[in-house]
Amino acid sequence: MKKLRLAGKIITTLIKDQWHYRSRLIADLVLMFVRCGILLVLYSYVFRLKGDVIHGANFVTVAWSIFFYFALSTLRLRDVARLIMQDVQSGAVETIFTKPISYIFYRMMWQIGAGISSFVVAFIAGSVALLFFVGAPETMFVGIFVPSFIITFFAAVVLNLILYVIIGFISFWIEDINPIFWLVDKTIMILGGAFFPVALFPDFLYKMAIWSPFGAAQFITHTVNASWQYQWYMLVGMQIMWICVAGFILFWVSKRAQKRVSINGG
Amino acid sequence: MFKEMTFALYAIKKNIQNSTELRVSFLLTVVGMAINNGAFIATWIFFTQSVGEINGWQIADVVSLNGFVAISYGIMFSLFVGIRRLPQYISDGVFDRFLLSPKSVLVRVATSSFHASAVGDVLFGLICFGAYIYLAGMTIPQFLLSILLLGNAIGMFFAVSVIAYSAGFYFTDGFSVTYSIFDLFMTPTLFHGGIFHGAMRFVFTFIVPSLVVGALPAEILKSVSFFQAVQLTGIVCIWICGALLFFHRSVKRYESANFMTFGR
Repeated sequence: MKKLRLAGKIITTLIKDQWHYRSRLIADLVLMFVRCGILLVLYSYVFRLKGDVIHGANFVTVAWSIFFYFALSTLRLRDVARLIMQDVQSGAVETIFTKPISYIFYRMMWQIGAGISSFVVAFIAGSVALLFFVGAPETMFVGIFVPSFIITFFAAVVLNLILYVIIGFISFWIEDINPIFWLVDKTIMILGGAFFPVALFPDFLYKMAIWSPFGAAQFITHTVNASWQYQWYMLVGMQIMWICVAGFILFWVSKRAQKRVSINGG
Repeated sequence: MFKEMTFALYAIKKNIQNSTELRVSFLLTVVGMAINNGAFIATWIFFTQSVGEINGWQIADVVSLNGFVAISYGIMFSLFVGIRRLPQYISDGVFDRFLLSPKSVLVRVATSSFHASAVGDVLFGLICFGAYIYLAGMTIPQFLLSILLLGNAIGMFFAVSVIAYSAGFYFTDGFSVTYSIFDLFMTPTLFHGGIFHGAMRFVFTFIVPSLVVGALPAEILKSVSFFQAVQLTGIVCIWICGALLFFHRSVKRYESANFMTFGR
């Protein structure tokens, strides 16, 4: 109960902060719409050139898949790794460790709070715009779509947070985590289908996206594919499996990291 | 002018020495960035393989596009990354110390920092050009052309960075706004050039000049057109003049943050 109250407090405080400094929120939204919009205009041209269907996928499916990737990215979950690195480098982590709260939980909630306003606005406005301009893919009319989408979305948020927190914790051992961060971040970007949507993946890349935790962190981009209605339980199962594995690794890494900290001692 | 150049070179040398002091970290960052850039090229190679050739663009063109963008970005943001910190300097009041310097404010700001990861971009760009030579070959005129085109790309990066980050003078929370403006330019630079056509090509050449740093140089290099290269140089010169004008006008809006630290 106390944990829930803390999470609620952190998130509401950060939402108020975002609405107060609106320029940041507007910048986030403009950036997301511009990035996503440019890609969609370009892909619409590619689909027109190639006869409206590529690899069995149409433009509507690809447009929603790209949109889901960019909408999730407005949550800025990846920034949690750099926040942890800054905490370690500045010594702030020592102060938080002395408080009666879980550092990992605190940082995760902070990250969700920092991005939730942008995400909600981007998701609603983007969905309406896509429905109006592009239409909805057939899978969205299947009964299982909404519940399975919600489950896979929450699983994606949790898995992303765990993966990036693990990277952040590496800064207890090495000075600069950026090279590792880039590697993981770009793997998630490719396997998540940021610029090249999942529906157009060649076979080997699709298998990598399905079977790796980095691809699983972006399974919401699969929800609009025609195969989702037959595959969703397997993919959600994979996400849960990776959450368990990554969660265990995070638990182990955090225990070892805590041993390396000596409060007020450097 | 000569004095400013000498100062800039001195500042860059000191920045590099400072950055290479932590050798392992420096090397890790450089190699990490080179691998990181591989993601973009991989994305568009997969795209080309899946979708096929679009408007004559083949894998070699995607490779040369990445080469141009990576080298020009790397040179710009390793040597002159201080421009990127301009919004932070403004909001922290650190900008005061640049105004008090007898040197050119822009040169002082630009050379105030060094970014090791951008060296990784240069390394990656060189690998791309090596791959391009392997895939498509390169004649001596093409080699000379590529140097001119690289100069153009660096110039355009400089101009857009100065404009984007000078916007920090106009906003209270300048960091996110300036970052977004620069990203609006940066993101399409790495997109497959063949998919830009019609109005999109016009917009991303003249209004948001993303194609000028990668896609257009790659096409000019392929067609070996010196005339188009000169036209591109003209566009870049106009942007640089506009950027310098915008910077000097924007500086006039600066009000000291009145920090007691006199900067850092």
